[in-house]
Amino acid sequence: MTTGRTLRLGESVLGGGLAALGLFIAYETMNTPGAGRGVVGPALFPYMIAAGLVLVGLSVLREAFSGHIAHEAGVELDAPAVLVASAGLVAQFLLIDQLGWIPSATLLFMAVAWAFGNRNLLVNALFGLALSGATFLVFNYALDLDLPMGSLIEDLVEPADEAAE
Amino acid sequence: METLSALGHGFTVALMPYNLMWAAVGVTVGTAVGVLPGIGPALTVALLLPVTYNLEPTSAFIMFAGIYYGAMYGGSTTSILLNAPGESGSIVTAIDGHAMARQGRGAQALATAAIGSFVAGTIGTAALTFVAPLMVQVALLFGPAEYFALMVLALTTVTAVLGQSLARGLASLFLGLSLGLVGIDMQTGQARLTFGIPELLDGIDVVVVAVGLFAVGETLYVAARHRFEKEEIYALKGSIWMSRADWGRSWKPWLRGTFIGFPFGTLPSGGSEIPTFLSYLVEKRLAKHPEEFGKGAIEAVAGPEAANNAAAAGVLAPLLSLGLPTSATAAIMLAAFQQYGLQPGPTLFDSNPELVWGMIASLYVGNVLLLLLNLPLVGLWVKLLVIPRPWLYAGILVFATLGAYTLNNNVVDLVILWVIGLVGFGMRVLDVPVAPCVVGLILGPLAEQQFRRALAISQGDASVFLTHPISAGLLIVALLLVLGPMLLRRRKGAAGA
Repeated sequence: MTTGRTLRLGESVLGGGLAALGLFIAYETMNTPGAGRGVVGPALFPYMIAAGLVLVGLSVLREAFSGHIAHEAGVELDAPAVLVASAGLVAQFLLIDQLGWIPSATLLFMAVAWAFGNRNLLVNALFGLALSGATFLVFNYALDLDLPMGSLIEDLVEPADEAAE
Repeated sequence: METLSALGHGFTVALMPYNLMWAAVGVTVGTAVGVLPGIGPALTVALLLPVTYNLEPTSAFIMFAGIYYGAMYGGSTTSILLNAPGESGSIVTAIDGHAMARQGRGAQALATAAIGSFVAGTIGTAALTFVAPLMVQVALLFGPAEYFALMVLALTTVTAVLGQSLARGLASLFLGLSLGLVGIDMQTGQARLTFGIPELLDGIDVVVVAVGLFAVGETLYVAARHRFEKEEIYALKGSIWMSRADWGRSWKPWLRGTFIGFPFGTLPSGGSEIPTFLSYLVEKRLAKHPEEFGKGAIEAVAGPEAANNAAAAGVLAPLLSLGLPTSATAAIMLAAFQQYGLQPGPTLFDSNPELVWGMIASLYVGNVLLLLLNLPLVGLWVKLLVIPRPWLYAGILVFATLGAYTLNNNVVDLVILWVIGLVGFGMRVLDVPVAPCVVGLILGPLAEQQFRRALAISQGDASVFLTHPISAGLLIVALLLVLGPMLLRRRKGAAGA
């Protein structure tokens, strides 16, 4: 159970984060060489947005402490489910270059299915494999887009290709 | 007259068998994806973007037009049978539509939604045909100052209109605007906020952000809530046809919904949320049995659904003639144009008449196809609703990452997708609207360009925005939109205290 108080904390993190982002953008812009010359240079808009972020951040902070927030009574959130699904995404971007689209997308599929309470790993693996395999074929051969094969797998396959040529 | 001959030429383009095929593919996948729970029109368009990458622009946009209208049709099915509106425009439909489904009148609700969408879509497209060239005439009077003011107005309305709290709307908007800063400044070549990562020089793609917020953020949120929520699907049963009484009660709401929806779509008023609510209120006021509203009144489905689709046609008018997106879906369509190196606006009508008029003509064609596709085949689409949730959402994320990766074929986009997804999850928990973020990201850089052009022309004199009457008027309206509700609330607060 995530209580109203935790959500107020979340809302203040949002407010604080926005204000911090504003300060960070202002700081970065100040330290970019060449920026800030002329009235209509490339630095003006970043400064305006930074100022806006700080103001909005402060007003969200005010709302977090004294105003109305969403789900004031609290809301139930299943944290492990979110972590597993998000871990699936991380695993995918870490592995996609080496293992390629098919295994990494299958892994993502299994992770999300697990997060939604389906613990039938083998069936999910087969479904994930079918989906990623089908998309790989359609996108690479019918639509001419380039989903990665994976560097590890290409290394395994390529010597054979060269021999065939 | 000129418009009619242009439209006629558009029809010759749209009716070429090759393009007709892409229109049919577009409406079919648009409906199929739009029907899936948790996927609204904006996400449907974003997810199907990669499919069009290797088509030539005219066919691609004909397909897009189909996807766009198909997603609108599909969205109503989810709201009616599942009570899970995919976007704010279908929230109203869900109220009485789902009540009808509970009473076993789901088929009639779907039918009135589909026919109403057809009526509204066709009249709306006809209105678009004549309004868009007029808007082009207006757009030709616009200089950079006026464009800037118009964009400020659009950003303000998207933010002020949606969501409960202005502060949270602005939070989303400014997040989008800051994401828009990343990349090379178009006028000076200066890199901004790229942290030495070469992949960031091109900026953060709108599609990645939209998919991150709508698909990843939403999926994480649904995963978090999955264990605690029960959803009910109501099977279609009994006669699937509308009775004479249903027709009698539907046709006026269809027409009224259309006339409410289209104008709101063309204005920068945040898309279809306001017109659908307005249509609901109007129908309730005019109904013989207003007490049925909320318990399954067919008028309350017919009117708002028509308004929703008419607004969808209306949104295309400022998008095509001014390059101004007024909803999240339109923002993604604009991103699609940019992908092809096209900038919608008055010049597009001159330089690419085939594309513009072919696309408009294909909207008429798409509507007919959709009516054929939806009325007899609705039972088939309904089957898509029973896909087990673990596989559905797993599939959504696989396609989300597919879309993000194929944009530039690099892993950095997947990392951005993940980060934006986590942010989107947080926003969803805190009830921060995501549409302002998407529109801000695409309009921010365009607004900056116009802003700097205006100042360059006036040689740094910032008063141009106020001395040009159109620009001043638009900015004042924008200011009133922000300050008005704030003052009202303060007065109410003072009265209550």
